[in-house]
Amino acid sequence: MTGKGKEEVFAGAKDIINQLAVIIRTAAIHDPGNIAVTTAVDKFLALLNPLIASEGELTLELGGEFFYINETRIRYPLEYLPNFDFLVREFKKRGLGSIVFKDVIKAVDMQTFFKAFISSVFSQTPFETFSEDVGNISSLNIGKLRRVKDEAEVGEVDIRREVKKSYFNAVSYTKGVINKIKSGEKVGIKKAKRVVEGMVDLILEQEQLLVGMTAIKDYDEYTYHHSVNVSILSVALGQRLGLSKKVLTEIGLVALFHDIGKIEIPNEILNKPTSFTDDEWSIMKRHPFWGVRAILRQRGFDAMSMRSAIVAFEHHMNFDFSGYPRTRKRFELDFYSKIISLADQYDGMTSSRVYSRIPMSPDRALSLMMERAGKQLDPILFKFFINMIGVFPVGTLVMLDTKELGLVYQSEAMFLDRPKVLVIINGKGEKVDSYIVDLTEKAPGGNFLRTIVKTMDPNKYKINLAEYLL
Amino acid sequence: MELVEDIKAAKDVVHALLKARKTFRMYPETNPMYERIIEDAHAKFRSFFDYRDELTFKIKQNELFCGSEQVYHSPQKEDNIALFFFKDGLRELTFKKEFSHNELEEFLKILTVDFDKEVVDDDVVTLLWERDFHNIRYVVDESFLTDEEDYETSAVEEAKDKTAGEDDLSRAYADAFKEEGVKELSIVPLTDKDLHTLVKELEKDAYNKMDKLLLIIFEMLYQAESKGDYEDVVHFLNDAVEFSIRHGDLATVIGIMKMTREVIDDPSVSDEVKKYLGLVFSFLGSETEIKLLGEFLDSGVEIEDKVLTEYISFLDKNAIQPFITILGELKTIPARKNVINALIFLGKKDIQSLAKGLYDSRWYVVRNIIYILGKIGDKKAADYLVKTVSHSDVRVRKEVIKALGELGTAGVLQTLKECLDDPEAQIRTSTARALGSIHSAAAKSIILQRVADANFMKSDFNEKKEFYEVLSHWPDSDVIEFLMKSLKKKSFFRRAVNDENRACAAYCLGLMGSKDALPLLYKIRDSKNKFLREYAYTAIKRIEHDR
Ligand SMILES: [Fe+2]
Ligand SMILES: [Fe+2]
Repeated sequence: MTGKGKEEVFAGAKDIINQLAVIIRTAAIHDPGNIAVTTAVDKFLALLNPLIASEGELTLELGGEFFYINETRIRYPLEYLPNFDFLVREFKKRGLGSIVFKDVIKAVDMQTFFKAFISSVFSQTPFETFSEDVGNISSLNIGKLRRVKDEAEVGEVDIRREVKKSYFNAVSYTKGVINKIKSGEKVGIKKAKRVVEGMVDLILEQEQLLVGMTAIKDYDEYTYHHSVNVSILSVALGQRLGLSKKVLTEIGLVALFHDIGKIEIPNEILNKPTSFTDDEWSIMKRHPFWGVRAILRQRGFDAMSMRSAIVAFEHHMNFDFSGYPRTRKRFELDFYSKIISLADQYDGMTSSRVYSRIPMSPDRALSLMMERAGKQLDPILFKFFINMIGVFPVGTLVMLDTKELGLVYQSEAMFLDRPKVLVIINGKGEKVDSYIVDLTEKAPGGNFLRTIVKTMDPNKYKINLAEYLL
Repeated sequence: MELVEDIKAAKDVVHALLKARKTFRMYPETNPMYERIIEDAHAKFRSFFDYRDELTFKIKQNELFCGSEQVYHSPQKEDNIALFFFKDGLRELTFKKEFSHNELEEFLKILTVDFDKEVVDDDVVTLLWERDFHNIRYVVDESFLTDEEDYETSAVEEAKDKTAGEDDLSRAYADAFKEEGVKELSIVPLTDKDLHTLVKELEKDAYNKMDKLLLIIFEMLYQAESKGDYEDVVHFLNDAVEFSIRHGDLATVIGIMKMTREVIDDPSVSDEVKKYLGLVFSFLGSETEIKLLGEFLDSGVEIEDKVLTEYISFLDKNAIQPFITILGELKTIPARKNVINALIFLGKKDIQSLAKGLYDSRWYVVRNIIYILGKIGDKKAADYLVKTVSHSDVRVRKEVIKALGELGTAGVLQTLKECLDDPEAQIRTSTARALGSIHSAAAKSIILQRVADANFMKSDFNEKKEFYEVLSHWPDSDVIEFLMKSLKKKSFFRRAVNDENRACAAYCLGLMGSKDALPLLYKIRDSKNKFLREYAYTAIKRIEHDR
């Protein structure tokens, strides 16, 4: 009675989704009856039908950027990323959210399905057209794309509380560990792993909420928050790349210690309220070296410390090597360094405590980063970054077309420019008890109820994000 | 009734887990016991699932509970399964009905990890987390991860208090009408090419990070600002060397040494820096590192000669002593051979250090050192060898004599001559052979003298035979004359001994292929002495055959 466990059943699921993408790509250039297509369909069914048979019914669903089969998120190796990503876009183009396979599927039905799928994209109302075209296939149904699971359903308050707790726990841990390292104490990596694993889990499930936590900058001990923020943003970016949990943990850990070299910098400089002098800058610029030193002294050589030391050294070098330190020999940046330096720049720019003393609003930071993409920043990773953080990141001060003024409260994975907004001044210009509006909401006529028309810098008006968002 | 039954079943599960844990620690995966124990434990789980769909253990420091019933208790520190989970913050563990055989095996592997003995960077929770069990759920208490109580509250309060005065919402609102409209961030969509580039980059990133880190360490060297910085660099290079040896990555060690050498050879680099970097070379030859190298050599991994030769070329003479030490500890022949080759190379730099090995308490080490000194073969080496001929162990003496024979320098003859009086026959014959391989006139006369000695006649036949065999290396007239004389010699007293002597002479003449001896040998072939007859016969055969 050693029946197949779920984990084995779903091991093949990524191949099914991948094959689905293969067929759609093939069908887009060939006639549906073409042998290339029919062979691909046969292969698809050979993978799919046994699973339908064993599970009874199979629902393939797009939620955010990820595919789920019977509510299990399907992970995939990176070589599948192009196909998965392609499929996500093809689904979105048609407003297609799910396919329910109710019974074992025949090849002929599948061919009808793909024909309808391909042609529906040219329709004004693609989902409806598609739905009509496949209406006759009794073994499957399709469903409309809906937003990621609404938290209201699962107790939003509880989840927010949990995310918050997790976030502060991580900061508290980081504070403890950095201080121990500073005092020369040896620290193990077990606890750090646990903390990062917790964050990885939250990012896999509640990416936007945890990323949102990084928007608040007004902490006294910002250095520790910065470490955690960079870790969160890096893991979130990494998960967009489809990296495995284990790799995400590694990135998160490495990110957590990217600035460890700063333990050598006197607090008077670090926490200085005014800008750095030239001398202070040259001290600041040594922290990559000191980071390598701190890490290697702490841990000696192992896979983890080597990764960590490299990132500590490279995180300010920039994509085009215009940053620091300058090196004698030619370098090629580590992949982790590229990810982490993106996250680092963003968090640094938007805070008043890391490098600059004048914080930038999140949307300004993003547009500046946009200009830097391809120069200081890796342009491809930046695309993923924007997809992750949203066009209007949490904390952006926005004016809506309803003349309501508010703060972006939570980004929306599916519609980058339609986040949830916490309104603090209503349409009549009156300060009110804040309320949350969802910019993806539409009026019965099909138009969006609210749209962002302007963004402003909350710092300029001394708006304390903590007060509103925590 | 069922209530009691399910608790009983839960206890059985715990019991099976404990038993499996023991078995897993004892037997390798290939043992049939291993598979059977999983099956047994899985059966216990299935029995439980006859009663309920989920099995949840609540974890206390020394107890496991199922519902409100205690199903396990142990006050011990060791082998306490409750504590095993508890110490890493695990508070609840739930198995679902679908918990599979494979999952159980994986779970048992975690259960078997001995965190006290094994160096692992993971705790139980991490291991569970990484496995991503579909049918195991757990609850963890994270509070032990942080030292500070309720950092959240204080941090939030403080952040909220930050506002310096009233915020300026009305001004913001007013300004909002003046600002320009939203500048659309023109998001360029990801292309297939982007993704492929990314996939490639990720693949490339999977490679070993050591090369990159070394590049960084050398940058640190170039940009060092203080003595402390140099010390750090040396320290890290040493660590990198050790890490690489541990991983059997000799190529990387060579790379490190090459880079270090390059800097040392750079005329623009100060002497002080060179002195620091020299420490890396000493480190490579230090006892711990040579020991590690020895372990690696002993592991049976095949290593190219070229690689090892290059590796050895970076070593300094401080490596000699550690090499001698491990020479006696290595288990495999190829490893010993490699170390011997290393010592032949290094010994030349410092014969004196090498020669210290001659006083090693392990005879086999001494024997190896003798071999090495012999291979080095210069005058100094010979001087040390000569001193060793009186070693108490026959095996050692034998090796020295062989080595001396191979050296063959004038100075060794006197020593060898003395060795002919060694109480051990095997030493005496070895000496004879050594003299034979020297092959000089002086060596000849020593052998000849010995063979002619009246006392020698009394020696064992085989020993005499060996000496005559050596004598055959010199088919000179004086030797032949001596042999013919011996062959002809008749004696009434001690006739048997004389006949042995004649047999040896015949044997030797045969080996030399001396035609002139044939008439005499024909005569002896008809001798009454069967023994003598046979030797004459063989010698004749040999000479005639040569012809
Ligand atoms: Fe930094
Ligand atoms: Fe940083």
